[in-house]
Amino acid sequence: MDQKYEGQPKAEISLDGQKVIRTDVTNDWGLRLQWQISRDGKVLATPAARADLSYEHPEKEPGKYEIVLQMWKYVNYKKNKEGEFTESKFIDISNKVTYSI
Amino acid sequence: MLHIGHEKVPVCSGPSRRSFLQAGAAGLAGISLPNFMQLEASGAVDISKAKIKNCITLFLVGSPGHLDTWDMKPDAPEDIRGKFKPIDTNVSGIQICEHFPLMARMMDKVALIRSIHHKTGASHENGQRWMMTGHDFNANNPQPYIGSVVSRVFGPSGNLPAAIILPDKIGNTGTSTPHGQKAAHLGSAHEPFFLGGDPASKEFKVANLAPPAGQSEFRVNARRDLLSQIDNLQRRTETKTTRDFDTSYARAFNLLTSPETKKAFDFSEESDKLLDRYGRNTFGQSCLMARRLIERGSRFVTVNHFDTVFDVSCWDMHANGGNLNNTYDDFERHLCPQFDWAFTALVEDLEQRGMLDETVICVLSEFGRTPKINNKGGRDHYPSAWTNFFCGGGIQGGQVIGSTDKIGAAPHDRPILPPQILASIYTAMGIDLETTMMPGPGSRPIRFIDAEPIRELF
Repeated sequence: MDQKYEGQPKAEISLDGQKVIRTDVTNDWGLRLQWQISRDGKVLATPAARADLSYEHPEKEPGKYEIVLQMWKYVNYKKNKEGEFTESKFIDISNKVTYSI
Repeated sequence: MLHIGHEKVPVCSGPSRRSFLQAGAAGLAGISLPNFMQLEASGAVDISKAKIKNCITLFLVGSPGHLDTWDMKPDAPEDIRGKFKPIDTNVSGIQICEHFPLMARMMDKVALIRSIHHKTGASHENGQRWMMTGHDFNANNPQPYIGSVVSRVFGPSGNLPAAIILPDKIGNTGTSTPHGQKAAHLGSAHEPFFLGGDPASKEFKVANLAPPAGQSEFRVNARRDLLSQIDNLQRRTETKTTRDFDTSYARAFNLLTSPETKKAFDFSEESDKLLDRYGRNTFGQSCLMARRLIERGSRFVTVNHFDTVFDVSCWDMHANGGNLNNTYDDFERHLCPQFDWAFTALVEDLEQRGMLDETVICVLSEFGRTPKINNKGGRDHYPSAWTNFFCGGGIQGGQVIGSTDKIGAAPHDRPILPPQILASIYTAMGIDLETTMMPGPGSRPIRFIDAEPIRELF
């Protein structure tokens, strides 16, 4: 029996200065939860988000920063020859917030 | 004096386990198991009121590597220490893997045992039998699942079976030998009840509880009456087999019709917030169901985290590129977060309901994984050292018992064998192993387990 995941996880995020704050996740699959931090369209980091409801990215280089909350979506464990998942992937589960430095 | 939990049962004048054993072995009158069973049947002992603690075991089929989870070696060479980093916990000096951040915050409730090992083959099934029965494999003398022992000696405290396994039985894990989750000589009446359904599914039904297609509850009751008459006839020539059948039938009927049963398996009275807190997945919802079953009278619930190791994301991290292709990515994205979320939810939930001190939680696995990472980036089976842990039930948390050497290859101090884990589970449940006996093959009373519990836990 493979693990089954019900519903569609969802959360709201907001900014307090450069600190991003999230709500609890509804329909929480309980899998890896992470912040995806991008600057000018390029992904900088994906720190874990499970343990705390807020996060402030330490980088202060000028640019437009975008943050979204993601959760791992497990479909199956299939991987290609490089060991990368082919069907399971991280999906956005929140709105996006932006700030500029 | 024989004990069933805390109930003293006068079975003979011999007070000690040793004399009980000797007398049983000699077949002396007055203390044989049949006498004990008659005493029980006559109502001299109300086993439904026997006071023991309950137990929930979370069985990590496939087995996570100890070096990647609860016995990290950050100073070891890279091909030993692996990809993950340790984090501090709320107990000074104890670190665990970074992918268990919530568990790290409740380490004061957890007792890690880092020196478990066994000396038989490195198959999953060997490890399963060790951890589920406390015994090595012997085809001629299969040993009962620990939950079946609890069921046989203490019975349920309500209509629900005493021993339940969720969400399903262990299937193919490599060889065709048993998995240690059967009642063996204790008889069919004490087989664990397998849920046989996925509580995370919206269409969830307990496969073993639904009336046969086309049969109403009225017809089920009519069949019971008819079968009851047949049973009366059978009793005239009663054998152990028919007695087992009677008990099994009664149990099945109770399960099928009891309002308690329907309520136990119905999540609708749980809040969405709590369902989310356990995780909307098979393992998380099974952990929630384990709490509900314990709350309603089951004494021993095992949650099998996976029923196979093939072609699924599971703990069996060989990274072999084929049908055993779990990797560090599966651990980081799927397995560790899922476990961390559900385990900590269970502990929190039991604590908030005032049930934690009365419920022992054991997280068990079959073995550890090789200290040296294989050439494909995985780790293979390794029964020479691994970590499991206890929580709840009055266990002294915030401690590490035993340790492994610098590369996690072997116990360094306080080596612990699987029978000691089972002895510790029984002891944590409040069962006095010196005075409480179970029926052995041929009905001779025997000890639950020939091992000493880990005293540091208590």
